[in-house]
Amino acid sequence: MTFKPVPATVAAVSDSFVPDGVIATSVEAVVNWGRRNSLWPFPFGTACCGIEFMGVVSSVFDISRFGAELVRFSPRQADLLIIAGTITYKQAPVLRRIYDQMCEPKWVISAGACATSGGFYDCYCTVPGIDEIIPVDIYIAGCPPRPEAFLEGLVQLQNKIAREHLKEQKAVGA
Amino acid sequence: MSTAAGKGISGEGDVRSWKREPIKPGKSDDQLQALAAERFGLARDAKDRWNLTMTLAAGQAKAKLHEVVRVLRDDPELRFDMLLDLAAIDYLSYPNHRGPRFAVVYLFKSLVFRHRFKLKVEVEEDDAELPSIHDLYRIADWSEREVFDQMGVVFSGHPNLKRILNHHEFIGHPLRKDYPCQKRQKLSINDPMVDQLESRLKHFGYQVVDSGEVHLGAPIAAKHQSVAEQGSVDTQKQKNAAGAVGAGGI
Repeated sequence: MTFKPVPATVAAVSDSFVPDGVIATSVEAVVNWGRRNSLWPFPFGTACCGIEFMGVVSSVFDISRFGAELVRFSPRQADLLIIAGTITYKQAPVLRRIYDQMCEPKWVISAGACATSGGFYDCYCTVPGIDEIIPVDIYIAGCPPRPEAFLEGLVQLQNKIAREHLKEQKAVGA
Repeated sequence: MSTAAGKGISGEGDVRSWKREPIKPGKSDDQLQALAAERFGLARDAKDRWNLTMTLAAGQAKAKLHEVVRVLRDDPELRFDMLLDLAAIDYLSYPNHRGPRFAVVYLFKSLVFRHRFKLKVEVEEDDAELPSIHDLYRIADWSEREVFDQMGVVFSGHPNLKRILNHHEFIGHPLRKDYPCQKRQKLSINDPMVDQLESRLKHFGYQVVDSGEVHLGAPIAAKHQSVAEQGSVDTQKQKNAAGAVGAGGI
């Protein structure tokens, strides 16, 4: 069986030889549809961005509308690592270890200026961007980003997952 | 707070049993200055601008600091029972500065008299060492570690003079003015801090048999035993439930 890149949208075949209510599609499209609409985030909140993430999860903004409301506090049960806050060099091995403990497939969102670039902490103790430690899929701008920005980042990640191919192994490690 | 001067101030006993003393009129800055000059021979710092700062010269610091702080704490007229802060200054690039490069500043407050006192201890660069006062104020334990970590002033007699803010692979002292403040140092492996964990466990009655292996001490083991017996039925139910669900787990 071969996998061909297909559009992420489910392709309906409306022909006479397919009964009503049956859709023909590719395995890849179905798997990606499931993955992107049921992300289980692991929040690594270390600063004010973590407070904003709480707003995203709560009822006003409600990350549940995008299927990512099941926040797990074990990396074994999560497939989306959200780093929301400043990461210091003292903390960096902890973050790396949590990323390593997550099972494939996994994605990483770097939320806010500090996680993305170190922010205004241009000093001896702050990591200038977590992509020095772990691979990052989506960067969210803001200091801290508003909940709408979080949701846009999540939708961007969902679009990215929809374009992934099952045969392509994700890059493991940095 | 204990009523006897000097006792209970470093945090012995249960905090809830301490009784607050009524506030008494304290000494003015001028009175404190005269008293410190008479008792310890301290001089007022020429650079202080907001309130009283008394200076202890670098040559006298090693011999006198601990005794001075002890008298400040225990004297019934002074009773500085609270160490508000302990910080260090690097005068390397300070304009028109003469004298030793570092100074360690102790900020005291009396909860009974409500007066304050600032003690500035000069520290030479090539002999950056002071006696520890962790036995007089428990907070000085971590404060001295912080000053050591960031400024490189050694506190002799400190029980555990390790870095507290920066990681254990860090080289240098970042708040010194000659440290390039954007020089970053990566950490490869976390410090598990087993030594501090062990001392805490011992404090709570556990026995640390081998390094990393913890056994329950006799009184705690008895307590846990009774809890385990009460919960034994539930534990069995959980085991059955786990078996019914099937192998696997997380």
